[in-house]
Amino acid sequence: MNSLWQFKIRHVFSLTIICLSFVIVGVFLSMSNNLRFRARELSKNLRVVFYLHKDLTASERGLIDDEIRHSPLVDSVRAVGPEEASEKFIEDFPELKDILLNLNINPFPPSIEASLKDPGLPTEKIIQFIAEVKKNSGVEDVQFNREWAEKIRSLGRLTEAIGFFLGGILVLASFFIVSNVIKLNVLARKSEIEILRLVGATNTFIRIPFLLEGVILGVAGSCLSLFVVFFLIKLFPLYLGSSLGALQEIVGFRYLTQTQVLALIFGGGCVGFLGSLSSLARFLRM
Amino acid sequence: MIELYHVWKQYQKPLWALSDVNLSVTRGEFCFITGPSGSGKSTLLKAIYREVIPTEGQIIISGINIQRIPDHKICAIRRQMGIVFQDFRLLFHKRVFDNVSIALRVLGAPPRDMKRKTFIALRMVNLQQRLWDYPSQLSYGEQQRVAIARAIVNNPRILLADEPTGNLDPDLAHEIFGLFRVINKQGTTVIICTHDKELIRRFGGRVLYLHEGKLHEKDVG
Ligand SMILES: Nc1ncnc2c1ncn2[C@@H]1O[C@H](COP(=O)(O)OP(=O)(O)OP(=O)(O)O)[C@@H](O)[C@H]1O
Ligand SMILES: [Mg+2]
Repeated sequence: MNSLWQFKIRHVFSLTIICLSFVIVGVFLSMSNNLRFRARELSKNLRVVFYLHKDLTASERGLIDDEIRHSPLVDSVRAVGPEEASEKFIEDFPELKDILLNLNINPFPPSIEASLKDPGLPTEKIIQFIAEVKKNSGVEDVQFNREWAEKIRSLGRLTEAIGFFLGGILVLASFFIVSNVIKLNVLARKSEIEILRLVGATNTFIRIPFLLEGVILGVAGSCLSLFVVFFLIKLFPLYLGSSLGALQEIVGFRYLTQTQVLALIFGGGCVGFLGSLSSLARFLRM
Repeated sequence: MIELYHVWKQYQKPLWALSDVNLSVTRGEFCFITGPSGSGKSTLLKAIYREVIPTEGQIIISGINIQRIPDHKICAIRRQMGIVFQDFRLLFHKRVFDNVSIALRVLGAPPRDMKRKTFIALRMVNLQQRLWDYPSQLSYGEQQRVAIARAIVNNPRILLADEPTGNLDPDLAHEIFGLFRVINKQGTTVIICTHDKELIRRFGGRVLYLHEGKLHEKDVG
């Protein structure tokens, strides 16, 4: 059994591949975690923003304001003037400040932000309400944040799917690499296996060390990958994050949940176990 | 205990390594198999522990037809056996101690028991001082004694020895045969293949003579 613990180049190689595969899965998972988190934040307070024509008179604005305020769906209403909108924009995107100031004119239209009463309202009802208000010719555009939330959420799902696809291919590669490492070990220990058989070892007794080695490789590889993902998440905002500005909210990472961590470790163990088992089935016929 | 019925073995045409061998060895018996080189002695022993599968015929060990049971069940039969292989089959990357204790390890013996029994077996073949050496550091005769120790360490009910004294000087060979006799007295069935007519004459007992794969019984007083 001693030879089991001899560390070989092939072990380093297989650990690297397993680790890499799980890093890919982990990175995409953490990105999708972030997107899901943003989507949840967004949909927490349902908000509809009505952008109005720039050259609307105060009384015309008041009329629209009244209509929105009296809708049974609306909780509160806030009118945002062009100056306030501009300030908010500069606050959100400080790096774009100069561009905005160089424009000489304020490009932001006045708007009315309506907070809705119940975040659980069905989307169709809100759309109906928006359509109602939109009939008013003073309303130029409407932004409804639930649409955003849903877009971001589906982006999250897409990210996750890409992650599982790429990761899946690499995990398959890990499977074959573990299987080959075990095959080399079986061949290297041929004489020992033969003697074990001749002195009456059961198949299980002979197999266990190889299976154990596969599982250890898998679990070690996936644990290693968790460290790598952890450091990526930690270092990302320091090196790349700042250059992304507000985009960081979308392209950022969020730590993996406990379930995800356990699932990745368990997945590593499974890949190792199955890789080893497939090799034993072929090269250790009994 | 060991019964062979019409056992034939052919490795390559047209030679028969065993031809129509019938043999019955009862519990506690001590017998020799002798015969010229290439007569099929090793093949006969290998058939008994099922390293080779006869082309035809049946072999029954302790009431179990070993031709009929699936591969993965043969381990139960082999656990009752101690085998000294003609080519020793020691593991050269393992110490003498591990080479001998391997037969106990597969039984799941507790470590303390394993150490004690291994030491006793090595003392029986006079190698207790060498247990920490590697087989490559031993002479041929010493390696052969390690192989013997491994065969007897688990108190087998059947001991099969293929040329166990081929590399030993006459005195040591005599000693080893004496050891087999002692083990036999404790109830183990012993089958020994050997060329050494001198030792057979001295120890006596049942002698089976193999010639070109055919088995003849003869009593050498
Ligand atoms: N694996 C094998 N493949 C082909 N032929 C074999 C094989 N093993 C043994 N034989 C042949 O079977 C015959 C019997 O061989 P076996 O090893 O049983 O002889 P033996 O009596 O043990 O000889 P020795 O006294 O030299 O050990 C020989 O003719 C040998 O060439
Ligand atoms: Mg032989």
